This record gives sequence, structure tokens and C-alpha cells, in this order.
Amino acid sequence: MIGLLQNLVDAASLGSLYALAALGVGLLFGILRLVNFAHGDFISIGAYALIVPSFEVTAQLFIGTWNWTLMIPTVTLIVVIVALISDALVFRPLRRASAPTLMIASFAVSYVIQNGILMIYGARPKAANLWAGLDTPIMFGELRVPLLQIITIVATLVLMGALTLFLKRTSYGVMMRAAAEDFRMAQYLGVRGDFVIGLAFAISGMLATAVSLLYLSQTGTLSPTMGVPLALFAFVATVIGGMGSLVGAVVGGFLVGFVVIMLQAYLPEELRAFRDAFAFTFVILILLIRPAGIIRTRALVERV
Amino acid sequence: MLDINDIHVSYGRLRALKGISLSVRQGEIVCLIGPNGAGKSTTLAAIAGGVAPHRGTIMLDGAPLASGRPEQIARLGVSLVPEGRHVFGTLTVAENLRVATYMRRDRAAVAADYERVLALFPRLKERIGSPGGRLSGGEQQMLVIARALLTRPRLLLVDEPSLGLAPKIVDQVYEILLTARQSEGLTLLINEQSSHRILKHADRIYVIRNGHIQLHDLAANLQDGEAIKRAYFGFGEEPGAAADAEEEAA
Repeated sequence: MIGLLQNLVDAASLGSLYALAALGVGLLFGILRLVNFAHGDFISIGAYALIVPSFEVTAQLFIGTWNWTLMIPTVTLIVVIVALISDALVFRPLRRASAPTLMIASFAVSYVIQNGILMIYGARPKAANLWAGLDTPIMFGELRVPLLQIITIVATLVLMGALTLFLKRTSYGVMMRAAAEDFRMAQYLGVRGDFVIGLAFAISGMLATAVSLLYLSQTGTLSPTMGVPLALFAFVATVIGGMGSLVGAVVGGFLVGFVVIMLQAYLPEELRAFRDAFAFTFVILILLIRPAGIIRTRALVERV
Repeated sequence: MLDINDIHVSYGRLRALKGISLSVRQGEIVCLIGPNGAGKSTTLAAIAGGVAPHRGTIMLDGAPLASGRPEQIARLGVSLVPEGRHVFGTLTVAENLRVATYMRRDRAAVAADYERVLALFPRLKERIGSPGGRLSGGEQQMLVIARALLTRPRLLLVDEPSLGLAPKIVDQVYEILLTARQSEGLTLLINEQSSHRILKHADRIYVIRNGHIQLHDLAANLQDGEAIKRAYFGFGEEPGAAADAEEEAA
């Protein structure tokens, strides 16, 4: 029983990271029809921004040593700026391009960022100890929950609540929802397209930063491709959740986290190495049952 | 107010508009009539900045409209109600209406306009909290017109307001357009596939077919409908036919 609870907490914690990453991907897909493969690299940048540029194996924290009230805004700003620059340099000239073109362009952005990190920080993975105190376990009866997992889950819930409030209650949020549903119609009503897209990139960057910090403090390692598996699972989450639906992205993220942890825990020892293969089989099964994802939206309907 | 001179629009290899010229004067109701695929919607989209003509000019009050910048053109007081209604389905009726007001700086006037427009559409007021996607077709048509009015347009472009609606609802839609024209001082450019309803209301009629203007006259001169029928179905001489044949040969 305790084992199951423990696994559920792990699933919620991992699912939180996937859900946050999936939200960042889903937001841009909703507004721009961009499947942004560079989202994982936004996450990497958030982690690398914390350390001193060097080729050393043990990373020396720089911004990472600052008090969190200063550190989080600074790192967020860096990632948001990178996200906005990639929009301005790459995606803005491609506004009228097709969705596959945008996706290929995002591969290019991803490649450039990864190689940029490689040039500045070297190729080898680095160890970094962010927020070392947070792995102290907290006991709920017999259940041991690391403080970091609680922070991860709570931070995710807070961010989702804030995003929901933003989208529902503010004028910019209503503009973004309108543009996500029918971009051209929103423009006909005077909503500035480039502004809304910039806003989506900025929020996507903020969500990526949250994933960077939480993920780095859990794993303690940096590598130039560290964001790639996160982004991959985030895409899977948005697809099974229903492309274009933010609620779907969150549901999908938690579901993927749940499946991965449960497979990890209950697969026979000799099959555990193939955990991800089983996880993706499960994804295929969901898509066979619900090809448009768990939550269907108009986003996939072709527009004329 | 609006002067369109010889615009050409293509979608890939498909040439949708092959030299359209038309004008709308302040306070007029002008109607574009033509069959499906004639280029009516493309003409309105070009005016609103949704598609960019590769030739020709569109002038509003003597100044050229920047093509391909719909949000700029909306700010100049041109509002398009596109065909197919384009309600934001997951936004509530109130949110749908609010989207149209964000570009306006005159907040006090916005609040007054909001009340005034809702008074024109009592049905929308009843459904103010429902998602737009849950409304009936007629209600959605009312919503998109109300929304367009909230941008405070001087020129309202309405693309096939009667499409897919019961005749009784269409009458209501026209009644509202005419009321709004009175109270807001609107100029209207309306697309329709059939002429019988619009002949009563319009000042001038253009018949468009195959990307060309086939006929242009005062509505008063077209009341018997014969000339429209000939232009619409392409009987008799076609102004664009010779030019088309020439281009195809070249």
C-alpha cells in the first residue's frame, strides 16, 4: 500500500514536469500551429544559465547561487529572451509558412541552441547541485516524500492556476484564446498577431524555465541535450491530450508521467530497460481509441 | 470612401480576382452578387487585409490600405463579418464581444457601445455567459455582427449574411443591419448569392462572376432582375471573356 502511494507521488511529480513542458508546447501549437521541437532546448538554456560558462565537469553555479527571489526572475528573463529572439529571427519571417515548415524550422532552432551550448559549455554532462537542501524527506506516516517532489507538484499547480487566471480573466488572455481558436478572425477584430504570438513565446519560455529548475534540482546533471527527452514526452502528452487543448496537454502530461512511473515500478526486472517502448505502445493504444486525443478541439480542423 | 482599382488576387495557380474595380460612397449600401466561387469573399477579404492583391490598389478615404495587415485595417474602421460566422466557440458571448473592443482606446465609449449593441440583440444578452459554440446558427450570425459593430466600424463588410439561415432569421439579420446603419452611420458592402432580398435594400449592385465585374448599376434600375440574371449566368457578352482568352493564349 505504501509502495503504491509512493509510486503515485512519484507519478504526480514526474507528471508535473511533463505537464508543464506540454503546456509550453501546446500554447505555441494553439496560437501558431507550430510544433516547437526547440522547447526542450529552451529548458536546457534555463539550466545552463545557472552555471559559470566553462568546460569543467563539475559545474560551478553562478546565478544558481543567488537567492531564489532574484535567481528565478533572472533565469526566466534569459529563457524568455531566447524564446522571443527565436521568434523574431526564425518564426516571424515564416508567418505564412505551413505547419510542417514551421516544425522543420524549430528543428533548426533546436540544433543551433544545442550547438551553442556545446561551444560555450562543452559536450560532457556536468554535475550541478541546485537547492541541495530540498531532498530532505518529509514523513507522512510511513510515506517518505522528498520536499522537492512536493515543491514540484505545488509549483506546477500554482503555475497552472496562474495561467488559467491569465487566460480567463485578463484581456491579453482572452485575446490569446481568441487567436488560438481563429487567428485570422482575431486579426480582423484588431488583435495584433505578432504581439499575441510574442506573448505565447514568452509564456512558453516561462514554463520552460520552471521545468529547467525543477528538473535540474531533481537530477543534478546538465547536458546539451538534456531537454530533448522532456520535450519528446511533452509532445507525446500534447498529442494524446488533444493537440491545441491546454487542458488536454496537462491531462496528457500527468497521464504520461503516471504510465512511465507505473511501468518502472511494476514491469518485471528484465523488461524495465524497455520501459519507454511500453510507454509509447500505450500512447499508440490511446491514439487508436481516440485519434484526435483525449480532448478534441477545433485546432486540427483545416481552416480556409 | 472606398475605391478599389483593378485588383488581382491568386491562390497559388488559381486566379480568384482578375481585375476587380468598385467603389463605395459614404453612407451607401452596396451589394456584390455572384455565384459560388465568383470572387465575392476574396474581394471582401482583400479589402479587410486577409489576402494581398498582387496587382491593383485599394484606397480608403484616398489613402492606400496596406495589404496583408488586417489588424491595421480594423483600426481604420473597416470591419469584416466573414462567411461561415467564425464565432470563437470556446469563448463566451461576452468574451467574443470583448475581443472586438481591445484595440479601442476610448474605454468610456466602449462601455456605452457595449450596452447599446446588446440592446440591439436581446437574444445575445440572454446568452451572454454561454460559449459561442453552443449558440444556434442564427444567434451566431447575430453575435458576429454585434462583435463587428463593437469595433466601431465606418465601413462594414458582410459576407453572405443569409448563408445557411432560415428565411425568417435572414429577415431579422437584415433588419438589424439596417437599424445599425441608421444608428451608427454605417456604410455597408454586402455579398449575397441571390438578389431577391438585397434588391429592396441596396443602393447599388455589382454582379461578379469568374473574377470579373459583369454588371454594375443602381439597384433602382435592376428591379426586374433580368439584367442581373443575364450577368449572373453569363448569357450575352462577358466583359472579362475576351481578356481571359487573350491571357490564356499568351
